[in-house]
Amino acid sequence: MIQVNHLSKKFHDNVVLDDISLDIKQGDVVGIIGPSGTGKSTLLRCINQLEVPEHGEVILDGEKINLAKKNRKQIVELRKNTGMVFQRFNLFEKKTALQNVMEGLIVVQKKSKAEAREIALQELDRVGMAAWANHYPKHLSGGQQQRVAIARALAMKPKLLLLDEPTSALDPELVGEVLETIRKVAAEGYTMLLVSHEMNFVRHVANRVIFLDKGHIVEDGTAKQVFDNPTHPRTKEFFSKMNLMTQPEYTI
Amino acid sequence: MAKLFDFQAVWKQIPEIIQYLPVTLELAIISMIVAVVLGLLLAVVKMKKIPVLSQVINLYISIIRGTPIIVQLYIAYFGIPMITKYIYMQQGLEYQASDTSGMVYAIIALSINESAYIAEIFRGALASVGVGQIEAANALGMTYFQALRRIILPETMTVALPGLGNSFIGLIKGTSLAFTCAIVEMTAQGKIIGGRSYRYFEVYVSLALIYWVITLIVEQLIKVIEKKLQIPDQVKMVETEK
Repeated sequence: MIQVNHLSKKFHDNVVLDDISLDIKQGDVVGIIGPSGTGKSTLLRCINQLEVPEHGEVILDGEKINLAKKNRKQIVELRKNTGMVFQRFNLFEKKTALQNVMEGLIVVQKKSKAEAREIALQELDRVGMAAWANHYPKHLSGGQQQRVAIARALAMKPKLLLLDEPTSALDPELVGEVLETIRKVAAEGYTMLLVSHEMNFVRHVANRVIFLDKGHIVEDGTAKQVFDNPTHPRTKEFFSKMNLMTQPEYTI
Repeated sequence: MAKLFDFQAVWKQIPEIIQYLPVTLELAIISMIVAVVLGLLLAVVKMKKIPVLSQVINLYISIIRGTPIIVQLYIAYFGIPMITKYIYMQQGLEYQASDTSGMVYAIIALSINESAYIAEIFRGALASVGVGQIEAANALGMTYFQALRRIILPETMTVALPGLGNSFIGLIKGTSLAFTCAIVEMTAQGKIIGGRSYRYFEVYVSLALIYWVITLIVEQLIKVIEKKLQIPDQVKMVETEK
């Protein structure tokens, strides 16, 4: 359903993404993992053109969009079809939770206020934030803010949901509620690209896992394949380092 | 021997001066509105770093901030009629400089002067809005101008308000120089009274009192608006069925 072809992105001389191609099926939840600085976030940000790559195109429902070109009409069309959840929530600070969710419906989808309100309330209810509809972001905890941000993205009915480390900026205590929300959304059949460092979570929620290293996809398969039987030496090294952390300090 | 300082006169001439308060306020309010619109425009162009236009604006701000307002008022009052006269002559028309009220020149000079300062206030305020919110607006499919109007400006206004209030107070006092454009506002009227009674010092004391009270009122108004724009500290939970 969604194809990403030959995506390349450099920051000055630093190659972040090197000719990446990706084919995402409808309803896929694709977990993207890998060491820091390998372009996981950049990959997501290129797909909705928050970052303009040197090369690359997206084919969304048969429509081809060149990501390297700044064509305002196409960009807006692309962004209407993709939703994004940010690491730092990025809620509109001057607006209540409800207004945050209504904003895109009114401004971008040109819905009436009443209709937008109804949809927004439903979405807030889905993430368990209906009771906080009139609260401003500064009144909410990080986890609550992120749930509102998820509702804001979902209200637009995106064909593809991009989640950029949605729990990285949260207290350990608050991670659970956000992961639970994402799990629910995933179960409803949304197509998602999920960048996360929560390996256990990715393992359980994603039906496909991609391991990114130095701008290349080095491993691509089901969660079981990638986590349990990694083939590439880089992936093996990555997991073995992670396992060191969970092993006891010594054994008798 | 006459009194050295006539307290009575200070109070007595206040009503006569206040008759010209509407002129002062008209000058200040119209100039402020024009200056805010112009200043915002300048700030957005500067923020977006539009080539050529940004450099022109930098020069504009530098010149306006680098020259005294009284000089600008004189330049507007003498210069603009000269330019219009030249244009009229090119068209073969007769031009009567006295047809245009001095108010026009004063408002042009005051608003241009203020716009330079306000542009800098807005630039700082615009820069204070987090990139994240703009990215979030873009990710939803908003264009820059939609994001500007719906997300960036409401937040900018809150940040800019104290600075704008300062500007407005400065502007009110700046109108006291409008006599250069042959306008009788409060200060000019004070001078007329002084010329009549030779009690110049008392007149200036009355003027000082009036301007101070106006400033106090404006300060309070700004405080009220600031409170209104503030996000409330606490919000009630919404009752849900569950």
